[in-house]
Amino acid sequence: MTAATQDVLITADDVWAGYIPGVSILNGCSLEVKKGELIGIIGPNGAGKSTFLKALFGLVPVTEGKFVLDGDDITNLRADQLVKRGIGFVPQTNNVFPSLTILENLEMGAYQRPQAFKERLDVIGDLFPVLIERKNQRAGSLSGGERQMVAMARALMMDPKVLLLDEPSAGLSPARQDETFVRTRDINKHGVTVIMVEQNARRCLQICDRGYVLDQGTAAYTATGQELLKDPKVIELYLGTLGA
Amino acid sequence: MFTRPDRRFYRAAALLLVAAAAFVIATLVIGGGPADAETVEPVAAGTSTATLVIQNVINGLAFGVLLALAAVGLSLIFGTTGLSNFAHGEQVTFGALLTFFLSTNEQVTIPLVPGSFTIGLPLWLAAIIAVIVSGGTGWLQDKLLWNPLRKRRVAVLQQMVVSIGLSLALLNMLQWWMGASRHRLTNASGGRITFGDFYIGTQTLMSVVIASIALLAVALFLLKTRLGRATRAISDNPALAAASGIRVDSIIRLVWVMSAALAGLGGILLALFDNGAGFDSGARILLLMFAAVTLGGLGQAFGALVGALVVGVVSEVSTVVIAPDMRYASALGILIIVLLVRPQGILGTKERVG
Repeated sequence: MTAATQDVLITADDVWAGYIPGVSILNGCSLEVKKGELIGIIGPNGAGKSTFLKALFGLVPVTEGKFVLDGDDITNLRADQLVKRGIGFVPQTNNVFPSLTILENLEMGAYQRPQAFKERLDVIGDLFPVLIERKNQRAGSLSGGERQMVAMARALMMDPKVLLLDEPSAGLSPARQDETFVRTRDINKHGVTVIMVEQNARRCLQICDRGYVLDQGTAAYTATGQELLKDPKVIELYLGTLGA
Repeated sequence: MFTRPDRRFYRAAALLLVAAAAFVIATLVIGGGPADAETVEPVAAGTSTATLVIQNVINGLAFGVLLALAAVGLSLIFGTTGLSNFAHGEQVTFGALLTFFLSTNEQVTIPLVPGSFTIGLPLWLAAIIAVIVSGGTGWLQDKLLWNPLRKRRVAVLQQMVVSIGLSLALLNMLQWWMGASRHRLTNASGGRITFGDFYIGTQTLMSVVIASIALLAVALFLLKTRLGRATRAISDNPALAAASGIRVDSIIRLVWVMSAALAGLGGILLALFDNGAGFDSGARILLLMFAAVTLGGLGQAFGALVGALVVGVVSEVSTVVIAPDMRYASALGILIIVLLVRPQGILGTKERVG
């Protein structure tokens, strides 16, 4: 094995997946994520962006092909098994436990490793100090942006190798969106590989190391975020204008 | 949605505590210990309405606590799986009848098994075994029925219809086993504790104490243990609970065991309170349990307690003015009124959106 292939963390190998038998959303999707990368997945509505994350996390059945994490086949594993192997998932909506307090939400994040809870809480406290200040507040009383923080913090409690973010900026105000992107970059700098699916293609490409453009259920092409921002086809289809 | 108790809950809890404290002090100061049931007959003919009402409130609170214990499992199952389990009443009956079966000195039989016999265990031992076996039936039905249905993604409405069918089947099996007559768990009169013009049966008081301890244990489990918090997380959002690494199916299995065991214990205590149980004891209070759970706030574990207390007190006090046979109807009337005023139930909360 060459050094380059050893660095690969996750491979999607010709993955076919769909919600209903016979109707596949992912049609032979292949991509590769290296350790420590921040990957952005963009594409038009219905391209299969969210489905890709859900298939990777075992929420949508994979009918053909496979996902490989660190050399192990993880296709169609149960969610709790994937969490154990170091995958954290933040859904787009309904991503907190509303009747639980912030602290209890975080405790659920570390459910499989209660002995590491205290230690992880300190780490998370550095990233999200506001959550610790308000730890006894019920998550159901928080705003959308605050919930997004709780959701990310919960997913980070297990110290995952890779964090999957499903449209983290959706439904947030522009200021909160910026905050989310900056925070995602921060988390990535702490050594967590991140795969994010985004509608806000420009902001996403600005912060990510590498982007994948998904189209009709396959990974159409990949390049660094900066390259994709300048790519005429990407500009025309997903960015609208050259912009700022 | 087992929300952490908020201010409203603490206010309700404080009121209950004050009432309970007053009750205990009154018992100690005025009553002066257990009295002999044969000689004391405190509520005599010609008692004032006020006295009658207060006595009925006492009976109603006692009934309410026992009803809460029987109903809390209904609430737990609804909260974690979304299922309105119509077979919960038979679970309540089963606890009482199994206790009778194990403890009675009469001859008992098992359908299709020839001959009759007497087991005659002490009541407390029979009750413990019955609660354990009840929990086992919860494990078994989740293993054989509810978990496979969930796996095949059968919707909760269809599951509810299954539970109605199961309820009828179990009701008939219970009648086949125990016949149509009522069975008394104990023949001891038990005596009464009197305080002034009022009284409470010692058997009833003991049942209420046991039920309160069990309810407290459930509350502590949900709030203070990791498993309990995971249970609340599942009722909030099962998909996210799974994504957090919680094994949702094993916790739902545990909830079924707990719910069935608590229903069994509730059935036993209600049989002591009611001087007996028949094959349809649970079926008779099924709607009251649903009323209690809905009244308190669907899926709220503490809602079952508050709702059951309201149902108990209203149904007992209503007998002052209307025929005793009608008392459950008045409790269901209260349900309609409360839901018109507070659609989410007494303790139910509305979530902030976004």
